[in-house]
Amino acid sequence: MTIHKEDTKHCFVLEGRMALPNQYFAGRVGSKFIIALRDEKKILGVKCTKCNKVFIPPREYCERCMSKLDENWVELSNEGAITNFTVVRYNDKHLPKKAPYILALIKLDGSDTPFPHIVEGIDLKKVAIGMKVKAVFADKTTNTIMDLDHFEPA
Amino acid sequence: MAEYFGVAVEDIFNTMEKRFRKEGAGGVDAVFGYDISGEGGGKWQVTVKDENLKVEKIEGDLEEYSVILDTDAETFVGITIGKVDAGEAFSSGKIKVDGDIGLLTNVLPQIFTKYTPPEKEATAKDIIDSMVDRFRPEKAEGVDMAIGYDLTGDGGGKWTALVKDQTCKVEEGLASDCTVTLQMDAKVFVDLNLGLIDGTSAFTSGQVKIEGDMGAASTSAKFFERFRLGGAEGAEELISLKCLPSVDQRFATGPVMGKWFEGLKEKKFYATKCPKCGRTQIPPREICANCRVRCTEFVELGPNGTATFIDIVYYASPDPLTGEVRETPYGGPFFMLDGATEEESFAHGLNPKDLERIKPGMRIRPVWAERRTGSYTDLLYFEIDD
Repeated sequence: MTIHKEDTKHCFVLEGRMALPNQYFAGRVGSKFIIALRDEKKILGVKCTKCNKVFIPPREYCERCMSKLDENWVELSNEGAITNFTVVRYNDKHLPKKAPYILALIKLDGSDTPFPHIVEGIDLKKVAIGMKVKAVFADKTTNTIMDLDHFEPA
Repeated sequence: MAEYFGVAVEDIFNTMEKRFRKEGAGGVDAVFGYDISGEGGGKWQVTVKDENLKVEKIEGDLEEYSVILDTDAETFVGITIGKVDAGEAFSSGKIKVDGDIGLLTNVLPQIFTKYTPPEKEATAKDIIDSMVDRFRPEKAEGVDMAIGYDLTGDGGGKWTALVKDQTCKVEEGLASDCTVTLQMDAKVFVDLNLGLIDGTSAFTSGQVKIEGDMGAASTSAKFFERFRLGGAEGAEELISLKCLPSVDQRFATGPVMGKWFEGLKEKKFYATKCPKCGRTQIPPREICANCRVRCTEFVELGPNGTATFIDIVYYASPDPLTGEVRETPYGGPFFMLDGATEEESFAHGLNPKDLERIKPGMRIRPVWAERRTGSYTDLLYFEIDD
């Protein structure tokens, strides 16, 4: 019994599926952020009074000076401007929308950090940096960031 | 009674008997004194002797004790339920200890199971009573509606919510001219409001009966904020999501692993034999990693062999292929199949019936699936060959 490099007699492909049971905990700060989206249709950020920066998504500590931020909640505008974008052109089951769709970085009025979300309601070729967009909230809650469904041109 | 974090000091002492662990109290002979100041406080004496427990509330001074804990009611409750850090409270002077502190830090946790506050259960009445507070006038513009609730069973009752001119009023009893009446078990009503069951399915499964204007029943939900279970400290809602992502996989066997699977189909174990050192590799591999030469020869091993090393697994890990938690314990023994060269063992599962008996050195045999397709599921496990 010998094998040769070209011998593909026994070669075949096994198909499989791996399940990854998972539990995601949004944390105290993350929960408050999502609950505000869900129940009040408000986008919340946190402000570092020392650095004078407003962060979104909210986080517990300032990345610059390490001060605790979880008491300094600020309400951000539901409108902002695109600071960058890409077009997602492939479909995969873990992706939130059907391709092609625009994934943009949006700097909301009142915040200092852009945050990524989906932009709809505009031709893929017409989307541009600097474009004003506004938030559209989901009708049905999923208890995730997708309670803010997408942004559309303001 | 004064409560701290939703718990009264007395709750903790009153549950001591229930939380007492005889097995943890062996050899303990001590009197714990508690001097708790503030509202709801008092003095208690807890005697542990001969695996017996006595809890007494004391008037006057505590006399004979092994250790005495002097603190305020809030700190005491906070530490007991884990809301206040004991070390911090101690170093900041909120707790004073007189006597053998080791009894409190080491012995006490052995004697008692942890106090857990009873879960507050919402009742239908709590939900109805909070409707006025939860009303959202901006959502009820131009609405004139009477919603009747006919809740049966334990904790049930009849109520009518009147929504008119952007205000909401709740009255006892069913109004005669209800726009819609919802009839259900009080328990179903609570679960619906807590989001434990879905409204549509509760209706389609007949748990909820709707009389009158169906549309009104579904739109009425949006006039109210969601009901929240209010703990004593305003329970904070935290989001935790369970998900089961799956990853599709393709595994190309190549000629060597392909040959191995072909062998399983025929109830055979194929190993590669290194042309240089002569070792058998199972499952077979294209290259001998020791000699770094290509292995071109297959030899058949077993199918029986000898157990060499036994792993019994008690940790309930999920099966990566299904996400289901594996039944424990299970065996993961290593075998030397007949004809294998030294140190070339093979690991696989063990027939659960042999878990108790398996010992290194025992002869084992493979158990095959009836229908074999040339995959890893063709070989079920090994079992003792007797």
